[in-house]
Amino acid sequence: MKIPRLLQAVVVIAGVYFGFLIVFDYLLGAVIPKSLLTMYMFFVAAGVFMVFTYDEEKTRELVAPVKALVEDPAKRGARNLVFTLIPLLIGYSVYSQLQPGFEAPVELRTIHPAPPSTAKIYGKRVNLLSLENPFRKVEKEDPEKFAALVSDGAAVYIKNCQYCHGDKLDGKGPYAEGLNPTPLNFQDIGTIAQLQESYLFWRITTGGPGLPKEAAPWISSMPVWQNFLSEEEIWKVILFLYDYTGHRPRSWEH
Amino acid sequence: MNYSAMRNFVRSVLTVLAFALTTVAANSQSGDIDSGEVVYVKRCLQCHGEEGDGLGPAAERLNPPPRDFTLGLFKIKTTAFDEDLPNDDDLLRMIRDGMPGTAMPGWGDMLSQKDMLDVVAYIKTFAELEEEPEIQLDFGTQIAISDESIAAGKKLFEQGDRCTECHGLEGKGDAIKKLKNDNGERTWPRNLTKPWTFRASNDPKDIFARISIGIPTTQMPSFADPKSSKKLSIEERWHVANYVNSLAKVENVVNPENFVIQAGRRDTGLPTTPDDEAWKDAPSSTFIMVPQIVAKQRFFLTANDTISARAFYDDKRIAIYLEWDDRTKSIPGDPKAASIADENLSEDAVAIQFPRIIPKGMEKPYFLMGSATNPVNLWRWSSGTTEQSENGTIIDAMGILDQQPRDDSSGLNTASSYKNGTWRVVMTRSLQTAGQENNLQFEEGRFVPVAFFAWDGSNGETGTAHAMTTWYWLQLKPAADSKPLIYAIIAALLTGAILMWWSWGAQSRARESAA
Repeated sequence: MKIPRLLQAVVVIAGVYFGFLIVFDYLLGAVIPKSLLTMYMFFVAAGVFMVFTYDEEKTRELVAPVKALVEDPAKRGARNLVFTLIPLLIGYSVYSQLQPGFEAPVELRTIHPAPPSTAKIYGKRVNLLSLENPFRKVEKEDPEKFAALVSDGAAVYIKNCQYCHGDKLDGKGPYAEGLNPTPLNFQDIGTIAQLQESYLFWRITTGGPGLPKEAAPWISSMPVWQNFLSEEEIWKVILFLYDYTGHRPRSWEH
Repeated sequence: MNYSAMRNFVRSVLTVLAFALTTVAANSQSGDIDSGEVVYVKRCLQCHGEEGDGLGPAAERLNPPPRDFTLGLFKIKTTAFDEDLPNDDDLLRMIRDGMPGTAMPGWGDMLSQKDMLDVVAYIKTFAELEEEPEIQLDFGTQIAISDESIAAGKKLFEQGDRCTECHGLEGKGDAIKKLKNDNGERTWPRNLTKPWTFRASNDPKDIFARISIGIPTTQMPSFADPKSSKKLSIEERWHVANYVNSLAKVENVVNPENFVIQAGRRDTGLPTTPDDEAWKDAPSSTFIMVPQIVAKQRFFLTANDTISARAFYDDKRIAIYLEWDDRTKSIPGDPKAASIADENLSEDAVAIQFPRIIPKGMEKPYFLMGSATNPVNLWRWSSGTTEQSENGTIIDAMGILDQQPRDDSSGLNTASSYKNGTWRVVMTRSLQTAGQENNLQFEEGRFVPVAFFAWDGSNGETGTAHAMTTWYWLQLKPAADSKPLIYAIIAALLTGAILMWWSWGAQSRARESAA
């Protein structure tokens, strides 16, 4: 039996719609924003319409059931039913859309915004593109001294950072739940493992207020660490973050 | 069974299995000291110190401070009250599950069972604990939770000031005696209505153990000790455990999904005092408070960890009700308050933070008291001194260090009450004010960013030393009206008319072409 082309079109569009929901909401676990879904579905519907109206005969085939429903005196019963249901559905949708919403406004922010090429840190202009951890080279030259530097960094971390980022560097410190955005999880492969040490230096020294606008600096509770710690202490903390998690910093070569 | 129920089921089966396995493993082997040292140096040393004395770099910023292992005494154990030694299982549990309400995390998701047992073995070397404990706690037969048991427990809890002496009439830890631990550090009695701060848990079995053994190194005594004038039988201790378990807050608990305080419209009289019964009709939103550790001077040891808010409005005003537990009513000048206070006594205070104008986009003022370019309004209530009564002040804040209290705060009305370890404060202001560019104007239905700050004046909290929240939302929930229904009917009728017109036109065209 041949499936009517109108039904085919409807099935294709519905299939794509539920496909989106399954992939995003269930498989990826990230609910797709309604506005984005609406936009995608607009393009999908437009595309399907173009394919299904490719030539005149196909168009005629597509609209035939609609035409029949509207014109054919024999389909009166079906027509009355459809023409009652559609206004009711539209009325309901208007009604529910005009209900006042109690959902908090959605706030989107970039978690790892692109760094500026230079930043003012400790009162001087620093080129973030060429900035390197002055202690990194010790790792090869003198492993024992390097271990001591890491241990210094650990002390700075425990004294200053663990309250939010956690003893385990998993972003679950004792105060993490009271903050929004929640503190970063350094164990996660998507955080410091993807970043250069200069990026961490920039983020730590200038803190929440030093973020560019797309990263919503007004909500981040990351302190401006250049007000509390020395440059050396911050480089040592960075050594500790990579050492403890076993991640390697990104560099231009990699 | 739906998906999440199934997931929960699988999870609980796995937890039970894991627990059974760890228990079996723990009983059948003991750890290796040398391997334990390696794990200790990497994971534990920063807090507990190289010598196990709890003097790591963060010690003075942690409340409670890290355990000093050289004493060989542990808070959470299941050996008898007159047996100092803990079981290996007790130590393992603290390492695996962590200590809620402290900086000690559970390590069960990062360390293997063997690693944790090795650490247990190593930790015991600091106090040279070599023998096995001999006397175990006798749990008797557990008495199930029931109304009768809870009532019996309540009676025993209050009898002769047995527990209320420190924990207070409602269990909020507010019947203050100045307590300290064996190291001379100040300790506070547990607020029993906040089970998330119980170092073990509020399972009656855990509570039974604490009541029976006491909490070593603190002033929490054993109620199983036959020498104690307040001693309890096993059966009585189960009743008290069931009662303490029943004290857990039900209404004012944090719901991590909730970011919005819903202010309901109330035209039958706005409640402006905390004791007004009307507040019972308002939903309560509770938020986590954390110490102000963001800006100078950082403060690490705040006393309070949650705040609850409710709100109502009418055609003219908004009233916001705040409720938070505070063991001490801090009134400077009052000798009793001064005797309990930690150091310098200052006023208790709370502040509600709003932006000056409702943000149009998503940009808000800096969450910690705004900035020079984007200031905030603070509505601040303070508890008053013996010389000056409590008062409400409107403050223009341009950052934590730049706060300008207004000379005229008459637009803000405050009322408060303190009872059994809880402050309740109501602040009232008109929805619209003069000076629109400096004062938030409330509008029905709009989401307004809101944040809270609180000071416990007996805990050294004053100035930048306070507890804080991040931004949340307040919404004046619009009263239901008929507008949506009217528009819906119009839309339905219009659609119907268009459809009919279309069909009618198409049919007549079809007839014409047929003819």
